[in-house]
Amino acid sequence: MTWWGIVIAAGVGTFLIRYLPLLSGTRLARGEGWLSRFLGALGLAAIAALIALSLNELWGQAPHWRGGVRLALGAAAVLLVQRLTPNVGLATLVGAGIYGAAGWALAD
Amino acid sequence: MNRERAISSSWRSAGQGLRESLSLVVGYAPIAFSFGVIAVQSGLTLWQAVGISLLVFAGASQFVMVAMMAAGSGGLTVLSAVLMMNLRHVFYGPALATHLVALPRRLAPWLAFGLTDEVFATAMAKGASRPLEPAWCLGLAAGAYLAWVGGTALGASVGAGWANESGYVAQALDFVLPALFLALLAQAWRRARWPVVAVATSVTLLGMVWWPGHVAMLIGMLAGATVGSRRPRARCSQEAMT
Repeated sequence: MTWWGIVIAAGVGTFLIRYLPLLSGTRLARGEGWLSRFLGALGLAAIAALIALSLNELWGQAPHWRGGVRLALGAAAVLLVQRLTPNVGLATLVGAGIYGAAGWALAD
Repeated sequence: MNRERAISSSWRSAGQGLRESLSLVVGYAPIAFSFGVIAVQSGLTLWQAVGISLLVFAGASQFVMVAMMAAGSGGLTVLSAVLMMNLRHVFYGPALATHLVALPRRLAPWLAFGLTDEVFATAMAKGASRPLEPAWCLGLAAGAYLAWVGGTALGASVGAGWANESGYVAQALDFVLPALFLALLAQAWRRARWPVVAVATSVTLLGMVWWPGHVAMLIGMLAGATVGSRRPRARCSQEAMT
């Protein structure tokens, strides 16, 4: 398989993994049974799993109390801004800014 | 006349989705930039790096793909690894469909192409409060795609010199994606759904002791959704109101 062949196959494969279930999902989504409830809960579950994954990766980069304090401050800032102004973009930027500033403030 | 109004409304929704993709753009650009840098450092040309982002558009699996290709792995091995990593996306389409007002057949391929973790999470958070317009989802995915491809191009062309920078700005950018997911969780939060969040988080964290992150995430996500599926919706919504 050539280099471009691998890239194209990976692109087509990834697309089909997303596309085919979307088509069949339209029919499933109209139901009221277990599967419909499962799919309804999947979004929230995915967000929670992504938080666990991404925070664990950051913690792995600096596994000591300073890293923990930075993560806690950054997370608190996100939740506070999101509560005060329901603006996901602003909450994300402020949280990242506080995390970066905490790194500077807590540096050795 | 009605058709014209519908088209105009779709464009408005797409524009709104594009505007709301700003948080995704901020999260994607630095990661795409890193991908561009790493791809060039692994021996790829600018066009090869950009080509991967254009055709595959699947964050973490692209990093794995480049690393395996640089290490000389066979085509089928690389392909299997990429597809296994992206297998969790199988569940995103049907879940998105439950929140769409309709799914026009001609838009389905475009919606599916842009269905990354972050686009899905943002759409689901929005979908918790109101049904989603397909055009809004397309606008959201378009913003994310442009940031991903643009960030890759920038990283591959000028990023090599910045690769060793590790200032506080770079560290702040590391927190952008976790911050985005936290904000999305806060937006989609319903008190009655706390077991879904608790189970998905705990199972993912526990799973990472034994498995790679993408496998742990898939299992955590399915475990959380399974817990959520055991409670009838009507009861959940009543509890959420109280």
